[in-house]
Amino acid sequence: MKQKNSLPAVFLTPAMGILAVLALVPTAYAIYISFQNRELSRPDGSLIGFANYIDLFSDRRFVNAIGVSLTWEAVTVGMTLLIAIGLGILLFECVSPRARNLLALLFLVPVILPRVSAAFVWKFAFHPLYGIATYPYKAITGEPLDLLSNPATALATVALVDVWQWGLFFAVIVLKLLETLPPQPFEAARLDHARTWEIYAFIALPMLKAPLISLAFVKMIESLRAFDLIYVMTRGGPGIATETLDMYAFSQGFIESGRISYASSMAVLMMIATSIAFTFIWKRVQ
Amino acid sequence: MATHTLGRLIGRLILGLAAFSAVFPMFWTALNAFKNRVDIVTPTPLFIFEPTLDNFAYVLGRESVFAGLVNSLLISGAAVLIGAALGLPAAYAIARYPNRWSRDIQFFVLSLRFLPPVAIAIPLMVIWLDFGLYDTRLSMIVTYSLLTLATIIWLSVPAFARVPKEVEEAARVDGYGPYAIFFLIALPIALRSLIGAVAFAFVLVWNEFLIALMLTTSDAKTLPIVASELTQLGRDVPWGILNASVVLLSIPPLLFIGVLSGMLNSAFKRKTQ
Repeated sequence: MKQKNSLPAVFLTPAMGILAVLALVPTAYAIYISFQNRELSRPDGSLIGFANYIDLFSDRRFVNAIGVSLTWEAVTVGMTLLIAIGLGILLFECVSPRARNLLALLFLVPVILPRVSAAFVWKFAFHPLYGIATYPYKAITGEPLDLLSNPATALATVALVDVWQWGLFFAVIVLKLLETLPPQPFEAARLDHARTWEIYAFIALPMLKAPLISLAFVKMIESLRAFDLIYVMTRGGPGIATETLDMYAFSQGFIESGRISYASSMAVLMMIATSIAFTFIWKRVQ
Repeated sequence: MATHTLGRLIGRLILGLAAFSAVFPMFWTALNAFKNRVDIVTPTPLFIFEPTLDNFAYVLGRESVFAGLVNSLLISGAAVLIGAALGLPAAYAIARYPNRWSRDIQFFVLSLRFLPPVAIAIPLMVIWLDFGLYDTRLSMIVTYSLLTLATIIWLSVPAFARVPKEVEEAARVDGYGPYAIFFLIALPIALRSLIGAVAFAFVLVWNEFLIALMLTTSDAKTLPIVASELTQLGRDVPWGILNASVVLLSIPPLLFIGVLSGMLNSAFKRKTQ
């Protein structure tokens, strides 16, 4: 075992070399572009220092996008975990092992769907005239219900789709985690006449604290990828009610003005913020 | 006891509703894909109708959809192959030959997930434009290899770590070299979990949207982009065709559901033993 062998170097070098090049070159280039005034129609820009960054802080759409992104993170992470823990406990508590496995398989369907599919399926379900989700409201009140065009409900409606995808998936993981717990503490608590909810609130969930925090961490990272859902369902609208940072960067860089340097400076700020936040959380989790 | 059974009943009801919500939207979409437009655009949702294959015939006959399908298969397939060919050995080296950089390497691989896709896509677009490779399959394959490689390494390290050390030890005593142990012992034993990791990477790049949206305009467009363009059509929306293209896009990932759920099971089994 201890003799020198070439395997680690031979196996690791190509993969790590490619990862480093593919990750670091674009990152460095993003920073470089963000100091220029390059636009899609004018390939040769000149260096303008921090001007893009300074402009960002007086850009009200940018400030709005930060707010939308933070709201999105908080809502989707919180709701996903709540639903996952609730359904996970119900799966563990209420059904036979066979039904459990079948339900676990069905709960995986939403997260495996391409987000473009999930987004379209729900966009059509929420269609004010022909949607099946809005049909009961229309049948009772006679009024069409247009959730995606209402600034007050649009973000929540898109978030519902995200929580639908991830909450059900994480419920399966919570179930698997509960299954790994030793049965003795449960039995002891039952003998002491603890109520079911007390067993979970005071025994099972505290025992699963570390993996649940890891789940929250994974969801935080995944919630940053809201773009697909928002792009298909609302394109950031109505107005800028659902315009997250990546949506705004995309529309600045590609749709409206082609200001790729400006968009790039936004992307760099996002990169710095998420890297700091997640490195910090990761070290705490470990 | 009566409250207990009642509670259980309510719990089952909630689970049933959740399962219904998981499956019904896709079922409804599939149903709509077989409807004529008049049967979709109705004041009340229709469950009984005269099915038609026109939507699928139209979608599959459209050049853009067919080209998107070919692009998606080629790009995702090649990126997954590259990711597996380089990622599996790397994961094995991390799992079996820990050194002082192993934790840093793992953190680096994970940290690639922190990068906002926009932050990678914007500079890559400029880079591929400069190389004259913008909107080509080659540039998409290279870009997606970053995703597949990182994902496969991240998911395969625990799979290799779960291979019993004694088996490898025994093979070494029998005179196997380190490479033979990897190819003939570790790889076959960990195969089931590894297939799960590779399938996951495939689903990930098959479903990928933002990077493809920014790095392709016509020649290398993948299926999610083509489908999303169909969903953005104007007023007289061909709903049946849309539903059919969404069904087509969703079939490949759903084929892997069994493999992925198996991977989930084996990932959590270790702790119970």
